[in-house]
Amino acid sequence: MNEIFKISWRNIWRNPGRSGVLLAAIVAGVWAGVTTSAVTNGFVDQRFDRLINEVSHLQIHHPEFRTERETSMFIPQAEEIIEFLSRDDRLETLSARAIAEGLIQSPANNAGIQVFGVDPDLEQATTSIQDDIVEGEYLDSDIRNPIIIGRKLAEKLNADLGMRLVLTFQDVDEDLTSTVFNVAGIYTSLSGAEERLVYTRMSDLQEHLSENPVYHQIAVVLRDEAQIESFVAELNDTFPGSETLSWYNLSPELRLYADLGNQVVYYLMGIIMLALAFGILNTMLMAIFERTRELGMLMAVGMNKARVFFMICLESILITLTGASAGMMLSALSIRYLHSNGLDLSAFSEGLAEFGYDAILYPSLGAESFLGITLMVAIIAIMASIYPALKAIRLEPAVAARE
Amino acid sequence: MAIVRTEKLSKVYNPDTVPVHALRDVSIEINEGEFTAVRGPSGSGKTTLLNMIGGLDKPTSGNVFINGQEISKMKDSKRIDFRLQNIGFVFQHYNLIPVFTARENVSFIMLLQKRNKKEIQQRADELLEQVGLGERKDARPVQLSGGQQQRVAVARALASEPKFILADEPTANLDTESAMNLLDIMEKMNHEQNVTFVFSTHDQRVIDRARRVITMVDGAIHKDEIQHTDEKQDA
Ligand SMILES: Nc1ncnc2c1ncn2[C@@H]1O[C@H](COP(=O)(O)OP(=O)(O)O)[C@@H](O)[C@H]1O
Ligand SMILES: [Mg+2]
Repeated sequence: MNEIFKISWRNIWRNPGRSGVLLAAIVAGVWAGVTTSAVTNGFVDQRFDRLINEVSHLQIHHPEFRTERETSMFIPQAEEIIEFLSRDDRLETLSARAIAEGLIQSPANNAGIQVFGVDPDLEQATTSIQDDIVEGEYLDSDIRNPIIIGRKLAEKLNADLGMRLVLTFQDVDEDLTSTVFNVAGIYTSLSGAEERLVYTRMSDLQEHLSENPVYHQIAVVLRDEAQIESFVAELNDTFPGSETLSWYNLSPELRLYADLGNQVVYYLMGIIMLALAFGILNTMLMAIFERTRELGMLMAVGMNKARVFFMICLESILITLTGASAGMMLSALSIRYLHSNGLDLSAFSEGLAEFGYDAILYPSLGAESFLGITLMVAIIAIMASIYPALKAIRLEPAVAARE
Repeated sequence: MAIVRTEKLSKVYNPDTVPVHALRDVSIEINEGEFTAVRGPSGSGKTTLLNMIGGLDKPTSGNVFINGQEISKMKDSKRIDFRLQNIGFVFQHYNLIPVFTARENVSFIMLLQKRNKKEIQQRADELLEQVGLGERKDARPVQLSGGQQQRVAVARALASEPKFILADEPTANLDTESAMNLLDIMEKMNHEQNVTFVFSTHDQRVIDRARRVITMVDGAIHKDEIQHTDEKQDA
């Protein structure tokens, strides 16, 4: 009934000072919450993007390879799988890798490592390894038996560009084999990879592993993330001899980040809205206390309790939604600005780099988060309005006639 | 049949702590067309009696019949609706909706009755003209004098076409001129439209204009008399 709407709306402005303060608190709270969420989300997204780049959308292995890590556990029918994938137009790119666990030695030190034998072109298309090189060159280098190692490993081995390193690992027949590689490049990474993962050319590694080419891992990037799940299922059906897993199951850290990105905004907004709920509650209780006689009169002349209840609820809902819409609009503007200009964190970039973050952050918040926040604000407004409304309808109509 | 009939109506406030016997066995009848004052010193139970008759409060014992219906036993929600359809109220403190204009205040009660929108507008305007506020329809209560506000309250009370109107000390906050002006309007409605009024007061000038005067002392009816006013009787 739009008459009740009219009373509620005008009642808000009866005490412009008090409503103004509450409104300002709601605007500021929503703005701060949403914008902070977007910044946090930007952090999470940035890290997520780089981590998922290392893992790819999905990976195929021998069913036991991930636990046992034996060179002998290469993917059966690997060539058929690659063939199958290459013909599928859902595929963006893939990189098939031979993997060996082993030991690397420099004159100064040695370390346990994992060697990736990769096709330089395919690997570069699938991951950002080439961009992550901070010293030297990628595997397309002219030097013989080139190897790329992580910066932390280089420090541990006291290795420089061009240094000869000895790799010792098992071949497919579980015989030990040793061979010399030359450091072509040094890379950095977000994850622990730079301590233990080294890259060589597939062709250089292959000849020491087996007579015929073997692959231990096929990393796949699809054109559309939405198709990952169905594609994984299809591959598992088609090639039951191997195990296909999505990034979600491959990397617990990624899964955490993916969930965190969605949740952080709700936790943050939840806390802010809870604080605002008390503000709303307090303001409404004050308003009802001041209007005891008037509310009594309304019930005395025949306004039923459902309508009085609705009128009071509507009042807090209207003020909350007004403040929240203004706060959201302001947030959308500041997020848009920050998203296109970037948030320059170079003042802290040394500390951030430690954790693998870039100096420029691009805050962002998805439309569904905005929707979720709107829903949450509405629910909290309704909840905060129920108690004052109950108090209002418990008033005796006789108070209208009393001094 | 009387519009209002009470039977041995008693009200005790705070029965468990400091009991106050505000009404003691009050039995009265109000008939259609009456213009009745309830008088008595402060604390004699006038407001309590009017609240019982108006269904705003429940008696401790006894009955209240409005048009033959016992209202003190009704459920709260049913009683609210009963008040809306049957009883008009005017309060000492005017009690208008402050965020509404005079016209909106008068219309509101008819909207609660779910009447036809056009009819509501027309009736609200008519009533405001009848109480002499044709020019101030769009004024909010704060923009009106006490006398004007009370006239809006009378228009509002009449808007719902109630069986009778209860007015608790309607002139207590008004100066003499406004009080007499309000009484003129009430009297005119009583004469011309046969609207039943029951009002409480301890103001002698107001009492003089009533046709029936019920005097209360200590929660009981002390006197109940018909007085002949100077007013010319029905034309
Ligand atoms: N809500 C209440 N609680 C307790 N006592 C009340 C209440 N309302 C009225 N009383 C008492 O009941 C008596 C009658 O009051 P009231 O009906 O207001 O008289 P009047 O309107 O004639 O001044 C007084 O003694 C008053 O103090
Ligand atoms: Mg009184």
